[in-house]
Amino acid sequence: MRDKSLKYVLVLPAVFVVFATAIWPLVESLRLSFTVGRLNRPNFPQEYLGFENYAWAFLEEPAFWNSVQVTAIYTLVTVVLTTVLALGLALLLSPGGRLRSTVQTLLILPFAMSPALIGVSFRFMFNPEFGLFDAFFSFVFPPLAHISWLSDPTLAFAVVVMADVWGWIPFLTLVLIGGLASVPRDTIEAAQVDGASGWRVFKDVTLPQLMPVLAVVIILKTIFSLKTFDQIYMLTNGGPGTATQTLSHYIYFSGLKYGQIGYSASVAWLMVIPMIFLTYLYAKHMFRKG
Amino acid sequence: MTGKQKKQFWNALQVILILTAAFIMLIPIIWIFLAAFKTHVDVYQLKVFFTPTIENFGTVFESPYHLGDKLYNSTVVAGVTVLFAIPIATCAAYSFSRFSLTGEMTMLVMILATQFVPAVVIILPFFVMFRDIGLLDTRLGLILINLAIVMPFAIWMIKGFIDGIPIETEEAAMVDGSTRIQVILNIVLPMAAPGLFTAGIFCFILAWNEFLFALILTNKDAVTLPIGLALFKAEEGDLWNLLSAAGIIIMAPMFVLALIIRKHFVQGMTMGAVR
Repeated sequence: MRDKSLKYVLVLPAVFVVFATAIWPLVESLRLSFTVGRLNRPNFPQEYLGFENYAWAFLEEPAFWNSVQVTAIYTLVTVVLTTVLALGLALLLSPGGRLRSTVQTLLILPFAMSPALIGVSFRFMFNPEFGLFDAFFSFVFPPLAHISWLSDPTLAFAVVVMADVWGWIPFLTLVLIGGLASVPRDTIEAAQVDGASGWRVFKDVTLPQLMPVLAVVIILKTIFSLKTFDQIYMLTNGGPGTATQTLSHYIYFSGLKYGQIGYSASVAWLMVIPMIFLTYLYAKHMFRKG
Repeated sequence: MTGKQKKQFWNALQVILILTAAFIMLIPIIWIFLAAFKTHVDVYQLKVFFTPTIENFGTVFESPYHLGDKLYNSTVVAGVTVLFAIPIATCAAYSFSRFSLTGEMTMLVMILATQFVPAVVIILPFFVMFRDIGLLDTRLGLILINLAIVMPFAIWMIKGFIDGIPIETEEAAMVDGSTRIQVILNIVLPMAAPGLFTAGIFCFILAWNEFLFALILTNKDAVTLPIGLALFKAEEGDLWNLLSAAGIIIMAPMFVLALIIRKHFVQGMTMGAVR
């Protein structure tokens, strides 16, 4: 076969798989979002409703707005905390040496852990009777002992954030260490010779050079924060009440627990819109370099 | 303080910070690890020193938990997903790497973008379709939908590896009369093999840890390990010693695999955005 046709034959299976497993469900979800789409009724698919599902979400469902708010705060807090802490850890670890490279290797471990299992382990540690945190606080600060962390809306939210930050710092740190390695050493040394303080060197030399990598990290983490489901399902299952119910969790519940596929598809599509924007930003950053 | 003392103080502070960070990173893992070897009673007494037992690892495989079935399902689903994904991705990656295609950029960006589509959006139509054609609670259904997760990573990762193989050997072989297919089979595949292996392991980890699809699509026959964690609940609460033993069975193999490919883990996740 000639290269001219072979090159298209080679990509065809992959394009087909991506189309069938991602593009088709996106389009089909959009179609479902305009239908009644109740799982318990026969003759699925059902009649078209126009934008009624969207109007329902916006106007009639406080639970929808609650999950939007939870997701927004969750995303903001986890992105900021994870990025700042990961940057600090990357700066600490990047000089190399035996201790630092050992810790770098260990950083892979949390990242290979299933997010569902991260949720389970944090639920375990925050158990009010025999959790590790409880033991820690009864030892150092007894007033904080025997608090049932996961029954209080604010504390449960804090625990969910902690689990997320714990799970993502290692990955972000490793990416940032890679970014720091590409900052030319001589510019840093030149600044040091000129008598600039450590903080000035970081702010005026390292940080600007690290910006492209930092941008990629922030966009990527924002996308993953917006999508969060696994840990939350295992850790609090959205509770107490709906205090930790993110959009993904809300869509899962309204669609598959209550069988309102049409309605949850409309909420799902409302979630896709910011994703498209973020993906555009990500792709722009990515191809600007190449 | 003199300059030298100041420097020593800074170094000591850094070492303390690094050790603290490492400790925080490891503590949930260590905590699970300890609990997996405790008896039910020891878990509730918060003991740090205890007589270890491996009984939990036996119990989880027995009735009513049957973790062995879930282990089998997870292995088959993740394994077959990788066996489908890698050859398909390799063909596409070679083409993207070596030729210029009409709409190549659009295709590559689309493939990248599919990774960012929330899994809940993908699962809604698939749930309805699988229900209609009888693929709910089957390993086959799970394998098909897991391809959605691994394909974009596999294509981008393998493309990166093939980009790194010098094109001159291929051109020389073509001049000597080899066909393109022969070049791919005899030259590119052997050289790309370590990369394909790395991508395969990476995809295996992703499929193994996948949670949402399995949660929604399975309920009995095709349940995978992460969903199996929900089994260890009793009337009196979670059975933490058993949960922890199951947790070890889920994460230990992934730790080994992740350490094998650790140099490529970061590149894989960012799909080449960060080198």
